[in-house]
Amino acid sequence: MIVAKRKPFDEIMELLQDYKKVLTVGCGTCVAVCLAGGEKEVAVLNSELDMARKLADNPIELGSTTLERQCDREYLDELASKVDEYDALLSMACGVGIQFLAERYPEKPVLPAVDTSGLAVNQSVGFYEERCRSCQQCVLGWTGGICPVTMCAKGLYNGPCGGTNLGSCEIDPEQPCAWYMIHERLAKQGRIDNIKNICSAVGWKDTVPRTLIQPGYKKPEEEGA
Amino acid sequence: MISPKLVEVGRHTNIELITCSEVKDVEGDPGNFAVTLSNHPRYIDPVKCTGCGECARHCPVTAVNGYNLKLDDRRATYIEYAQAVPLAFSIDTDTCIGCGLCENMCIAKAVEYDDTERETRLTVGSVVMAAGSRGFDPSGLDYLGYGRYPNVVTSEEFERILSASGPYFGHLMRPLDREEPKRIAWLQCVGSRDKNRCGNGYCSSVCCMYAVKEAMIAKEHAHGDLDCVVFNMDMRTFGKDYELYYNRAKDKDGVTFLKARIHSVTEVPDRGDLIVKYADDTGRMQEEIFSMVVLSIGLQVQPDAAELAQRLGIELNEYNFVKTDTFAPVTTSRPGFYTCGVLQGPKDIPGSITEASAAAWAAGADLVEGRGTDIPKIEVPEQRDVTQEEPRIGVFVCNCGINIGGIVDVPAVREYAATLPGVAFSDDNLFTCSQDTQDKIKDVITEHRLNRVVVASCSPKTHAAMFMETLEACGLNKYLFEMANIRNQNSWIHSADSDVATQKAKDLVRMSVARAARLRTLNEKVVPINKKALVIGGGIAGMNAAIGLGDQGFETVLLERESELGGFARNLHHTIEGGDIQAYVNETVDKVNAHDKVEVITKARITGAEGFKGSFSTEIEMGEAKEKRAIDHGVILVATGANEYQPTEFLYGEDDRVVTQVELTDRLHDKGASDLDAVVMIQCVGSRNEEHENCSRICCQSAVKNALEIKKQSPDTQVFVLYRDIRTYGLLEDYYTEAREKGVIFIRFDKDTPPRVTAEADALRVTVKDHILQQDVEIRTDLLALSAGLRAADTDDVSSIMKFNRNPEGYFIEAHVKLRPVDMPSEGVFLCGTAHGPKLITETIAQAQAAASRATTFLAKDAIKLSAITAKVDTEHCVKCLTCVRSCPFGVPQFNTEKMEIEINEALCHGCGVCTAVCPRQVIGLSFYEDDQLMCKIDALLDAEVV
Repeated sequence: MIVAKRKPFDEIMELLQDYKKVLTVGCGTCVAVCLAGGEKEVAVLNSELDMARKLADNPIELGSTTLERQCDREYLDELASKVDEYDALLSMACGVGIQFLAERYPEKPVLPAVDTSGLAVNQSVGFYEERCRSCQQCVLGWTGGICPVTMCAKGLYNGPCGGTNLGSCEIDPEQPCAWYMIHERLAKQGRIDNIKNICSAVGWKDTVPRTLIQPGYKKPEEEGA
Repeated sequence: MISPKLVEVGRHTNIELITCSEVKDVEGDPGNFAVTLSNHPRYIDPVKCTGCGECARHCPVTAVNGYNLKLDDRRATYIEYAQAVPLAFSIDTDTCIGCGLCENMCIAKAVEYDDTERETRLTVGSVVMAAGSRGFDPSGLDYLGYGRYPNVVTSEEFERILSASGPYFGHLMRPLDREEPKRIAWLQCVGSRDKNRCGNGYCSSVCCMYAVKEAMIAKEHAHGDLDCVVFNMDMRTFGKDYELYYNRAKDKDGVTFLKARIHSVTEVPDRGDLIVKYADDTGRMQEEIFSMVVLSIGLQVQPDAAELAQRLGIELNEYNFVKTDTFAPVTTSRPGFYTCGVLQGPKDIPGSITEASAAAWAAGADLVEGRGTDIPKIEVPEQRDVTQEEPRIGVFVCNCGINIGGIVDVPAVREYAATLPGVAFSDDNLFTCSQDTQDKIKDVITEHRLNRVVVASCSPKTHAAMFMETLEACGLNKYLFEMANIRNQNSWIHSADSDVATQKAKDLVRMSVARAARLRTLNEKVVPINKKALVIGGGIAGMNAAIGLGDQGFETVLLERESELGGFARNLHHTIEGGDIQAYVNETVDKVNAHDKVEVITKARITGAEGFKGSFSTEIEMGEAKEKRAIDHGVILVATGANEYQPTEFLYGEDDRVVTQVELTDRLHDKGASDLDAVVMIQCVGSRNEEHENCSRICCQSAVKNALEIKKQSPDTQVFVLYRDIRTYGLLEDYYTEAREKGVIFIRFDKDTPPRVTAEADALRVTVKDHILQQDVEIRTDLLALSAGLRAADTDDVSSIMKFNRNPEGYFIEAHVKLRPVDMPSEGVFLCGTAHGPKLITETIAQAQAAASRATTFLAKDAIKLSAITAKVDTEHCVKCLTCVRSCPFGVPQFNTEKMEIEINEALCHGCGVCTAVCPRQVIGLSFYEDDQLMCKIDALLDAEVV
């Protein structure tokens, strides 16, 4: 799941300082699940903004709505009738949703209320741990299901660096060394040979926005071809 | 903690409470006892008294406050404490000067100066003696300086000092100069484990734990660094999870624990500080100065309680505790008389509560034929349908004597209420909670066709239930009721400013009226109770629970995993008191097999479970053929037991001269001890260590039991017990004393320097560091017995299928460690025996009877009404984020893998509202506390124009 964290309140205040009427748009999927941008957080943020702006003698009129997903055009369309009433839109979706909202309503300023932090698992209520950097070149099959890109401070693909220290990483004794963990798990599963498999480095140089097309699907413009 | 229990007792329709009275005599036989009571005069009629306290405020006489252990004063007209039940004052005639002020002040006309001593008679079927104990009076122990030095206090006094309702309002102060102490010493075993000075040979069981607690709370209350030292012989933190608390105090919160008995306490002249002299581990005399000394006084049966017991023909032991049999822990020597709590022997709160339930079981089992015949029936008229009506709100403003009326302008609040939207009627009352006002409210509801009621008075905590009953009694749905607390939250706080208080009362009433208008009729689901019980586990606990339920007249199914009943007790021979365990087990097996209400199923395995309190359904496989069967039942009793730990330490399993205590008992039984020159025992094997932090409770007495047996069979065999703390709590202490007298040698070792064992051809060599000699001692022994701790039975299947929570050690978790030791968090599920935690057979039997008792309370009803205050999920908009599943303190929301949606079972929901608050998509509603029903109160508060 994509996880995000609400921006510091002062930063949101600063982003909104010139607007008098703002629609806060929550997203009902990933950011709702990670307790950053669902109905509840929209309501909480709006109450805080309302009070702070009143105290600053700069009252603001706030609307609220939470869409099913901000990364699907159909759900964004629901706002079409409302958007004109507002000076700006404040999105609580992840970076993907914020941009798509801005793209769908290009004439309106769209402002982020959260910082998107990554792809994470839910360890406990409100506690998330990153597990994937979406590198597009998954090596988990060779690494015992442990991602060296995410879990290793250097994102090394072929074994640990010299900073591995009795199972810990040199950056922090609390941080386990990814390659130590990989070694342990592979050894336990009796497939330690896998570690010898050389993984070529990711071609980070071509970092243009990536697209994903599931097998059997096409881009809409190719649909007719 | 105790307050809700007091309220429950006070309101219970099956309990008649007679206070200020003593039992003079009981004649007759079980089932028909004639009890003679002497009722002491109280001088204030508890029925008329509303507890407003006006009498005490005007009483000119100062008397010593016994409740705060003479540390402060009270009036001659007084109530012991604010939560007392009945909430009624009385007059202490020893100090009263008869001035008549209280009589003049009392608006309820409750004062009766001419009240006299009376004698009344009662007829009852069974009697439970629960006269408890008092703290030991240390005045006679001159070396402690109690009574001579003001800063030497008893633990009971210190408890009051720490209490917010105590003499210093919870501020940590010492009596002499009301300065905050910098160093406090606790002296353990004052009046316990001391035959020499006070004759109390027993251990009081609770003092170690309360000393740790007092030290921890004192540290919390202190403003600087408070140094706390607990002087003890052994720390006896043997209860469930108690060791964790002790470790936290010792390792994290810096409480010091010193092994020493105190030589003397003397005062530093002029300063009030105290010099504590003691011999340290090596025998050298030490002196330390403390600002305060707390004497951890033991529990002692009061002479008048002992006298009463003797008068009633109940046998006592040498310490005046009621004598009971190992296998009948709450049964006294007089038929029909039962006992519980500290009167039976020293014990902690969970132990007392467990025994109390057991005694209730025993007392009720004798009278099972008469169940329900003596209970008042409450008729409720049919409910009026008000759903289509506009709100017609009645507001009743209470004066609470002069508690509210003396400060708030109540007539003005009443008039104001009449102007609020939806209000059809408003009135003020002297006491809205009095019986005559209740009748008046009923008449007014009918006469004015009111469909919502607001009472502006005191706390809903104590009074809402009663007012809601009043609504029900005249056909109005009880959820159409709202309270404004204009006393606790208003007149008591703003007593100095009438205008402010009156204004705030209006605000609170306006908010409540707004909410009342939005209240909706809620209907409580009625679930019929299946009057059958399922007991899981056929050991001593399970068998006793099944017999207990059968004796109460309920069909019971007893499931046992193995092919025969008996459980772990099959491996045991005698209790420390000499009770024949095998004979008892066989007798109990026969009894349970022969019981016409109990069906025993052996080789049973639980394969599926569903349902909730009153209506469970459990699927099992049974017998060799794994025949499937479904059982419908109303309650579950969990009695899955525990086993002896199989050690990996000290050459166990490698050398056959190393055995466990259970194996040693077998050996003593089969071969005796005459061939043994020496036996060494090592305590705390597999307990009180990193993997298993808790104490296993029973191993110290196992060691002492076996040591005594060896000495009995072969007095010349040397027995060494290597221990960390000997925890022979309660009356077990006598056996520890006896073992030392018989020559058993006890050597203490440190957790960090455990004994070392090496095997030699002709003997085992055990090396241990003696703390007095500060040197290694080597013992050559023929046999090494390891006091291996207990391990909960493997209950992975039961736990996952039935969704019962266990602690990290595998013991099932009770609803509340102190107050509900027999109930599980899910209603209708009860727990007993070692499945709950390590315990002795006698404690197991008491808990099994207690579980049967708790289950009986539930099964005796034909149906249960579920609270209408429950959470509901709008599954269409739910994103299944599991936040509710993970946040619910009762584990109620579940993800249904078939429907692929979150479900909240209304029968299990406690209505606490946690899920409603945490739901990120705000799709969980809580009836009676819907968003609009709460937000409207805030809107009404901020709606200043209305004022």
